Amino acid sequence: MSETAKRRNILLDGLEQIGDAGLFLPTLIAAIPRSMRYFRETVRQLWFVGAMSLIIIMTCGLFVGMVLSLQLYHVLEIFGGTASTGTVVALAVYRELGPVITALLFAGRAGTSMTAEIGLMRATDQLSAMEMMAVDPIAFVVTPRFLAGVIAMPLLCCVFAAMAIFGGHLVGVTWLGIDNGTFWSNMTSNVDVWKDVVDGVLWKGLAFGAVVTLISVHQGYTTPPTSEGVANATTRTVVASSIAILALDFVLTAFMM
Amino acid sequence: MTEANDSSGSEANNNSMVRARGLKTSFGSRVIFDGLDMDIPRGKITAIMGPSGTGKTTLLKHITGQLKPDSGELLVDGKNVTQLNREGLYDLREEIGYLFQNSALLTDYDVYENVAFPLRQHTRLPEVLVRNIVLTKLQAVGLRGAAKLMPAELSGGMARRVALARAIVFDPMLILYDEPFVGLDPIALNQVLLLIRTLNQTLGITSVLVAHELAAIQQVADHVMLVANGKVVAAGDPRSIADDGSPWTRQFFGGESDGPVPFHYPAADYAAELGLGEGA
Repeated sequence: MSETAKRRNILLDGLEQIGDAGLFLPTLIAAIPRSMRYFRETVRQLWFVGAMSLIIIMTCGLFVGMVLSLQLYHVLEIFGGTASTGTVVALAVYRELGPVITALLFAGRAGTSMTAEIGLMRATDQLSAMEMMAVDPIAFVVTPRFLAGVIAMPLLCCVFAAMAIFGGHLVGVTWLGIDNGTFWSNMTSNVDVWKDVVDGVLWKGLAFGAVVTLISVHQGYTTPPTSEGVANATTRTVVASSIAILALDFVLTAFMM
Repeated sequence: MTEANDSSGSEANNNSMVRARGLKTSFGSRVIFDGLDMDIPRGKITAIMGPSGTGKTTLLKHITGQLKPDSGELLVDGKNVTQLNREGLYDLREEIGYLFQNSALLTDYDVYENVAFPLRQHTRLPEVLVRNIVLTKLQAVGLRGAAKLMPAELSGGMARRVALARAIVFDPMLILYDEPFVGLDPIALNQVLLLIRTLNQTLGITSVLVAHELAAIQQVADHVMLVANGKVVAAGDPRSIADDGSPWTRQFFGGESDGPVPFHYPAADYAAELGLGEGA
């Protein structure tokens, strides 16, 4: 096969995946009322994708805030503006880094496990067994995971942002000697709750949660029932989620500006 | 159509749990069923045999509506499976037990919860009753003591017996067994044969077995059908079908490589492919 044909196949395959995932979304949403029967399963998944992701989200948030504060302090020092370190850390974290990095971590930690779990259920006929027991696998397996991802992501974004600001404070105030009052007062006076926190953290978190979880469950549900199929689906989840997060981030930011 | 014909047709429907007429299925260019006609009698144990790849598992998937045939009519308990919607299929499946080739146990649940799963999904029985039913079914397959084990801790034969307990937990009208004897030791095999026979005799459950073990089938089945070449090529009593003299039964039950069923998958000329002889 020529290089051009290969590239065309990759492009067509990508478009087909996007179209298929788009068609899968209404199926998921239509199954939400049926999945309310399995509310405990949604709570179980919320624990798994949300609570179990806390450690990685908190640790990464802390270090992102710390490194951001350290870099900004030395750049702002050139202009004599170190007092604005807290403000810039907060704005960067609320508007961009919080939701984007949380979503990337979420895709790597929870998204891949969702894909692999559903894919293995497909490969070992567990989904067919559910269908044979008159249990809808979309309502029992897929939708609870989707709902859990959509609920968990904004909450994880909040935790990430809080830890990043704490990390920024730790480096800026405790280590580099920025005045504590200046750090907080500059931040609170320049950060807008609706524009920065709600639009940035909550809405973006919600959108990224929906997209990452949709990609993850779709890849798992449609994976070929082989070990190679599950491995490829897991890889595609990370790649497609990362691209989708960054592209969607640009679109959302452009609309929110 | 005359009234007499009408009544004989409906009687045939009543006597058949599964009735297939002119079933056609293809996967790409590969024809699986080419106008298959079949009647599986109600309340009997029917074994479906045939060479590998002839569509025995596909036939079970057609019966449960997991896979629709390209054309033809397929009635299960009088309902046309090919025309049922999702709710209709799910209602039908609540009446059908299915034993998968690879057991298909839910790996997140222990043995007890696997067997209890259909009960929990479709009934609101008190926990005491669920426990009694589950333990009864596990006792029947000899695995009451394994109730707390996870599927990963079971051997292949044990997993199959748990799957069997799950398939019969609702006392369905029809049980489909896909290769139920694979991986069973002689003790478990005899117990499973006994269980299939007991379920059939005590509850009148119709059983369809897809299997290759003629000796086991002769012990338990009332009726055998040999599927090959997209059709039922022989049918009859399990103890005498091997002697009916047709080339299909002679080759299949005699284990001969020569006959109407090709042993080799269609391929180019062997000598030519090796670079020898005329084809080279």
